[in-house]
Amino acid sequence: MSVTLDRHSFPFTAIVGQDSMKLALILNAIVPTIGGVLIRGEKGTGKSTAVRALARLLPEHDVVEGCHFGCDPADREALCDDCRAKLMAAGTLPHHKRRMRVVELPINASEDRVVGTIDIEAALRTGTRRFEPGVLAEANRNILYVDEVNLLDDHLVDVLLDAAAMGVNVIEREGVSFSHPSRFILVGTMNPEEGELRPQLLDRFGLCVDVEGIRDPDERVLIAERDAAFKKGDHEFANEFAAADSNLSRALGEAIARVKDVQLSAGHARLISSICVEAEVLGHRADVVIDHAARALAAYRRHGSPNREDIYDAASLALSHRARQPLRRDQDETTSPEHGEEQEGTQQPESDAGDPQASENEATSDASAEQSASASDTGQQSAGADTGVTTGGASGHESAPDALQTFNLKRIDLPRQRRVRKQGGKRAASQTPDRRGRYVRAEPKEKVSDLAIDATVRAAAPLQRERGRRHGERLMLEKQDLRQKVRERKIGNLIVFVVDASASMDAEQRMAATKGAILSLLQDAYVRRDRVAVVIFKNRTAEVVMRPTSSVSLARRRLERLSVGGTTPLTHGLMAGYKVVKTELLRDPTIRPLLVLISDGRGNISMFKEEPLVEAQKVAALIDAENIDALVIDSARDYSHLPSVQHLARVAPMYQTYAINACADLAERMGAHYYGLYDLSRDEIATAVERELGRGR
Amino acid sequence: MAIDRYSYPFTAIVGQDEMKLALVLNAINPTIGGVLIRGEKGTGKSTAVRALARLLPDQQVVEGCHFGCHPDDPEDWCLDCRERAAAGALPVTTRRMRVVELPINASEDRVVGTIDLEAALKEGSRRFEPGVLAEANRNILYVDEVNLLDDHIVDVLLDAAAMGINTVEREGVSVSHPSRFILVGTMNPEEGELRPQLLDRFGLCVDVEGIRDLDQRVAIVEKRALWEDDPNQFSQLHAESEQAAKSQIAEAIATFPEVMLPREILRLIAQISIALEVDGHRSDLVCARAAQAKAAYDRSDEVGVTHVGDVAEMVFAHRVHSVPFGKGGPNLGEVISRMVGQA
Repeated sequence: MSVTLDRHSFPFTAIVGQDSMKLALILNAIVPTIGGVLIRGEKGTGKSTAVRALARLLPEHDVVEGCHFGCDPADREALCDDCRAKLMAAGTLPHHKRRMRVVELPINASEDRVVGTIDIEAALRTGTRRFEPGVLAEANRNILYVDEVNLLDDHLVDVLLDAAAMGVNVIEREGVSFSHPSRFILVGTMNPEEGELRPQLLDRFGLCVDVEGIRDPDERVLIAERDAAFKKGDHEFANEFAAADSNLSRALGEAIARVKDVQLSAGHARLISSICVEAEVLGHRADVVIDHAARALAAYRRHGSPNREDIYDAASLALSHRARQPLRRDQDETTSPEHGEEQEGTQQPESDAGDPQASENEATSDASAEQSASASDTGQQSAGADTGVTTGGASGHESAPDALQTFNLKRIDLPRQRRVRKQGGKRAASQTPDRRGRYVRAEPKEKVSDLAIDATVRAAAPLQRERGRRHGERLMLEKQDLRQKVRERKIGNLIVFVVDASASMDAEQRMAATKGAILSLLQDAYVRRDRVAVVIFKNRTAEVVMRPTSSVSLARRRLERLSVGGTTPLTHGLMAGYKVVKTELLRDPTIRPLLVLISDGRGNISMFKEEPLVEAQKVAALIDAENIDALVIDSARDYSHLPSVQHLARVAPMYQTYAINACADLAERMGAHYYGLYDLSRDEIATAVERELGRGR
Repeated sequence: MAIDRYSYPFTAIVGQDEMKLALVLNAINPTIGGVLIRGEKGTGKSTAVRALARLLPDQQVVEGCHFGCHPDDPEDWCLDCRERAAAGALPVTTRRMRVVELPINASEDRVVGTIDLEAALKEGSRRFEPGVLAEANRNILYVDEVNLLDDHIVDVLLDAAAMGINTVEREGVSVSHPSRFILVGTMNPEEGELRPQLLDRFGLCVDVEGIRDLDQRVAIVEKRALWEDDPNQFSQLHAESEQAAKSQIAEAIATFPEVMLPREILRLIAQISIALEVDGHRSDLVCARAAQAKAAYDRSDEVGVTHVGDVAEMVFAHRVHSVPFGKGGPNLGEVISRMVGQA
């Protein structure tokens, strides 16, 4: 059993602002069945501080004495096998009060410690296979806290989801077969810049709040002052907030006592359902969560039954992460009457710990959910894109076409469906044969090269008596005991941009749009820990302006300096990109390269003394033959600027057809996805990409 | 991996004042949160970090404790020390603060600690064998080329740095132990950048470049030659300045908690953060602490605007959002000089 180090934590009530975060945590302490909370936000906003501070406020509850799982003596359905047996034998269960706890799950935890495993010492002593509880056992009826939950390894996420879904942890491993109750309040914190959460896991969190830094200087000063006082061990500060914390703790206890008697009127129950219908949430978890959260709020605010305000406040916490499925904008109209009502609700002054901002999220569920989901990077992205136009279009005509702006708000998703390795999902973890990577589990193997000591000892322990080991002797190992470590390493993709910088790219601010496209892909690359290389071709040659790097800002700087002009040595560009990919594959055969060609496809310089177009086609075929994934973005196909296309078609119909076909043809020969640069701004393309990729788990 | 060979005297390092100041401030108040040194090769980054260790005061530790717990700080004790303290007074010894190096190819087991192989095979018992994070407690954790560290090791570092605790739930062992360290990282930005999350964890950040001044360059070479010739004699030559620096730091360590932080100063800091559009509030806290440490180092009893000015760039350099394809958003130098100048 792990023991958490108990230490000074910053007082909960001394946290400045962030009311919806605090409220969401409090509500969960009142009604655990709300199902936890996910706190998303930029770095340094006190997310982890708040969760750790909560530990001191948590209420006491009855637990069966000596039970590993802290069973509730009053809840006979949920007793563990041990308690059940005791109850059968004795008729009663001895119990005592214990404070609810925050149990931390470190993101690098290994599976055996999370689900529990065989008790080695018991196995050695008596040769029996006893179960040794893990984190999920400890978390039963407590808060399970995962910091940086979006970085949790997939196999642990699976384990968590399983336990959370059933409230039971089932163990079938190492000869131990066991199950025990594991109902926990899942609390997670994450910084969305570091990657998103799997939708299934997201939905497991009852509530979700987005926190931001406070912009008010006075509040910021207060934060700094309180921090200084805390760090210094200031007595006045400590006393003041110890009192405030204990008041809040008392209020919590009272709310817990009251919540059983809170009744929800039929009308208000309908209101909850209609809110969920309008937000078009999937499934019914949201309804249940809002119901529970509204009751908790009512109890906390001393209302006999939840009023509209309670319900809307609860809904705002429960829906911000659920109303994310693509809603049409015109849905806003239908929700606007609700919006009005809700505004009214939040203006009531008595919302003691309530939070005015959070309510806004709810009615405008579509827009706000989208924004909050990628608040920081979208903002960054669009801001960057605007300036990208000015620095990018070095040639003078600087006005940004409308298409560009919409264009840059849209994320472009890279194809994740690979021909070579078919693991889906982001940041595919590959099992690595070498000794790098994270040890995730162990398995028996014919020839063990990377010994998993813990698993080996666990395998050998129950057999020691049989093998005649006496106490104090060395462990007797046999070949069959040996376990090999299975390691996983997250393998980012290698994205090689092959960018056309010929004079034709200058037209219609194509280069600016191209930079915008690369930027959008780069943002994606960062989140997925991909590496990026850039090849530029113009005049008579191609140049690798950036070797594979994980530095997005380096890529940006290199692109900034990019100037446009000259002829189009397409073959050179493709060859250079191909070589970068091959070199990197030699270095590490496990990487997954993707070649992104951004060009109008009008190659006009020969590399091998052939017709330029034919050459390019040959290289494209080579890329296909090598099973290198590719994406072609046609900078010439431009249906959003119909006048110019028509004009072109009128003056040189053949030329236009040729251009469109050249690029599409190359894409086909490469086995690549093909997109028009300007089309990427449109929703249809994005959804088409999603569909084509079969994304989502 | 403690480094305790002859190291080049800190005070003999030519130039690079920002870097030296950033290191000293962290030595005064470790809660500033470490320093990231960005720069080209051969600019004395590693030399300075190692040299710093010799200027740090000795610290009291519980004897025989794997984590070097502080005898007077029960809140931060490891479980071992708690148990031992319950049984009787803890034996105390003093040690010098150390620079613990985290090699970039370190495996996760070595970093967080792992099951004790010998105990496991001999007795079948699961004992915890402490790793680098245990050793780093109350010391300097030095990561050369921090930007090349494997992602999963970075995650572990972030976790420990944030909490001051290393929680291990793996390979059959389940342990939490204190792990508060001054994180010092160096990197060459040409080889890739750091994840913003890790970047933000570094309290301060300084950019170093090779010195362009001819005389200074000559001085560097001369001093280096002297040192290589006879490190002993060279050290003695600098013994006085080293001792002076050491006592100035020791004095500041004693006085900084009492240095006043007026509200106007905190306000000024908040305004800088807002003007620079940084994420979160860590910058405010770090800036206040760093300015306080600087004031203590300057032997003043109240933080003034100049102290904020002295540290602002180190605090904000790595926190200002670089806007992709942009002109770079708010200008760091401009904002700082405007804000600090106006008051």
